[in-house]
Amino acid sequence: MYAVRATGLVKRFSDTTALDGLDIGLAPGEVRGLLGPNGAGKTTLLRILFGLIRPDGGTVELLGRRLDHLGGDVLDGVGGFVEEPSFYPYLTGRANLKLLAKLDGDGRPAREIDDALGRVGLAERAGDRLSGYSTGMRQRLGLAAALLRRPRLLLLDEPTSGLDPGGTRAVAGLVRELAADGVAVLLSSHQIGELEKVCDSYTVMRVGRVVWNGTAAELEAQAPDSAYALWTSDDAHALELASRIPRVRIQRAARGGLAVAARSGDMDVLVAALGDARVLIRRLELMISPLESMFFALTGGHDGPPLDALEPQEMADTILAGA
Amino acid sequence: MSAVAPAPALAQSEPLVSVGLRNAYQAELHKLTAQLITRILMLVCAIGPLAFAVILKVQSGTPSDALFGVWVHSSGFAVSLVILGFAGSWGFPIVAGVLAGDLFSSEDRHGTWKTILTRSCTREDVFAAKLLAAGTFAVGLIALLAAMSLIAGFVLVGAHALVNLSGVLTSPGRMLALTVVSWVICLLPLLAYTSLAILFSVATRNGILGVLGPLLVALITQLLDLIGKGVVVHELLIGSAFDGWHGLFTSHPFFGPVLVGSLVSVIWIVACLAASWRIMRRRDFLTGVSGGGPSWTAPIKLVAVSTVVVALLALACGVGPTGVTAYRVAYNIGREFNNVTLLQQELIGRHVPTNARLYIQPQCNRRGTKAIGPGDWNCNIYVYLPQANSVPYQLTSVEYDVSVEYNGCYKAQSPPAFLGGQSMQDATGHSVTNPLFIVYGCFNVL
Repeated sequence: MYAVRATGLVKRFSDTTALDGLDIGLAPGEVRGLLGPNGAGKTTLLRILFGLIRPDGGTVELLGRRLDHLGGDVLDGVGGFVEEPSFYPYLTGRANLKLLAKLDGDGRPAREIDDALGRVGLAERAGDRLSGYSTGMRQRLGLAAALLRRPRLLLLDEPTSGLDPGGTRAVAGLVRELAADGVAVLLSSHQIGELEKVCDSYTVMRVGRVVWNGTAAELEAQAPDSAYALWTSDDAHALELASRIPRVRIQRAARGGLAVAARSGDMDVLVAALGDARVLIRRLELMISPLESMFFALTGGHDGPPLDALEPQEMADTILAGA
Repeated sequence: MSAVAPAPALAQSEPLVSVGLRNAYQAELHKLTAQLITRILMLVCAIGPLAFAVILKVQSGTPSDALFGVWVHSSGFAVSLVILGFAGSWGFPIVAGVLAGDLFSSEDRHGTWKTILTRSCTREDVFAAKLLAAGTFAVGLIALLAAMSLIAGFVLVGAHALVNLSGVLTSPGRMLALTVVSWVICLLPLLAYTSLAILFSVATRNGILGVLGPLLVALITQLLDLIGKGVVVHELLIGSAFDGWHGLFTSHPFFGPVLVGSLVSVIWIVACLAASWRIMRRRDFLTGVSGGGPSWTAPIKLVAVSTVVVALLALACGVGPTGVTAYRVAYNIGREFNNVTLLQQELIGRHVPTNARLYIQPQCNRRGTKAIGPGDWNCNIYVYLPQANSVPYQLTSVEYDVSVEYNGCYKAQSPPAFLGGQSMQDATGHSVTNPLFIVYGCFNVL
């Protein structure tokens, strides 16, 4: 049984087609990253899955039940949020959760609400009115509200937005923990680095369509070159060594250091060669990961052609722009 | 051994109210209770009548323009009925607007539609729960207002008999029953205003218009009441339904306005809620927290449409027959004058035989160009007093200025030179309200 099974989803807004025959499936216990540039249709998809908007075509099944797009029992076992989580500002964090638990209607004990607040690190501020909450705290409360659903399917839209690094790490841990218990997670985010830490598979969308779908291993195999920034004790020697390794492209960067474009396996060969030649690696940073390079290749996400098509100097500038 | 198939379980009967609706209803009640504006409203309903009664107590004036207003120092029931009259004009629309006008639009403002619609309840549940919660609070607040107005009247004035709209002193027991029934009658138009507020809130997604909308409609209704003589359009307005209870306070009660008002209210309720649900059901919940304040596109369209509708209503107000005719005004004024005169004679200690009647000939004319319709009237009441000598009758006349409303209710006042001032001394030397000074009455215009 699929946790999510959507086929042929179409959604139009006036002249714009937000979803254009989209298919997606998600198995229990799977953590799927949903990627795409702005306007790709990620949020529209999540809204349809939550029953907040109705598709113009296609069908949706959640946890084996057909969604009629008016919510209700079909959403039992489905938790999460779309866009930023929103709550009632005149209530405290705990009162908001109590209210939502009341809507769920199964008489959650207060202890369960406190547990949820504790898991997201909000226990101490649960008695504060929501009007005093920061963006990150609202995000945490959104996660607590999702946990209260005892979800079997979690739909999260930018869950780490506004969170500090500790909070981001905690969310990643929480997602993996839930997935280990069989919860399916569909996670939409622009923070590709965060997705890579938790996702088993990815769906890349562009203008309302799925342009790539597969597991993390498939992505690794199919992704274009990743990009690295490299600082060594002897850049000239490193350049010479790299030039002997097939499929490794290397170039001096204008602001110092080297820019390298290679698959991770080839990069391993280069690192080993540098070690053998006693060239010290002072710093090595992954600037564009396989997922990012795949994302950019599929979506043109860095406002230019794919890295593979760039001239070495352009590639170096692109890579080091964020170094 | 053969396996015995288990007997099929008896199908459980469906609960009358779905679990989702019950849960959503409790959540909506919780939200309304938690809001400051609701608490303020509860406080006003609880303290307002007491404050009003105290102010009346410490000053000698009376709200004589309001029905029963001149009697507020004589009977606690008058206090409650004056408050009911005021509430019908302004209080009920305010309660409806404040409670229901922001009920749906606040979810847009806070961006919380997606929060509640992604829990275990359907749109139907949430919609119905909001209606029920608004209705519960509206009815509860008005019940509180009614109870406090009666308590304030009883404590500060007393549960004394009150002169009804036919000029007859009515016992406290009957007055209590009539007053309670009158408040209950007003619940339907209250719910009609609540439904209208919900429609404003759903259609415009603008809390300001949702809250002020019913008040504006009440204002427009009152302005329309001042123009046109036709009864048809007036009876179709929500505000008119608040006048239905007047007919209960006459010696020969008439129920037409109550029935018509109730029917009109039900039509408004059904129409507003059906339109609201249609919008709600078809809606795509796209945006999160609405930034930059409420949306004004829909309100501007609504105001444009409303302006046209009000203009058409204003033109249509004159269409149809009027129930305010010279005969009806004269007949009712004459009958009531008879009753209040006899009441006055009793108050000053004279014996009035049962079923005593004066020989009266009233003559009423409408001031202005038109001979019929609501407005200012002048009534001359000719009273023929029996004489002991050869002249059989002595003729005397009393002049009343009568202000008649479209609904058949009137206030008649005579210059003090004719019939004395507002107060007089009764047989025991106490100061009492002169029943002839201001006369309130109502007749059936349908």
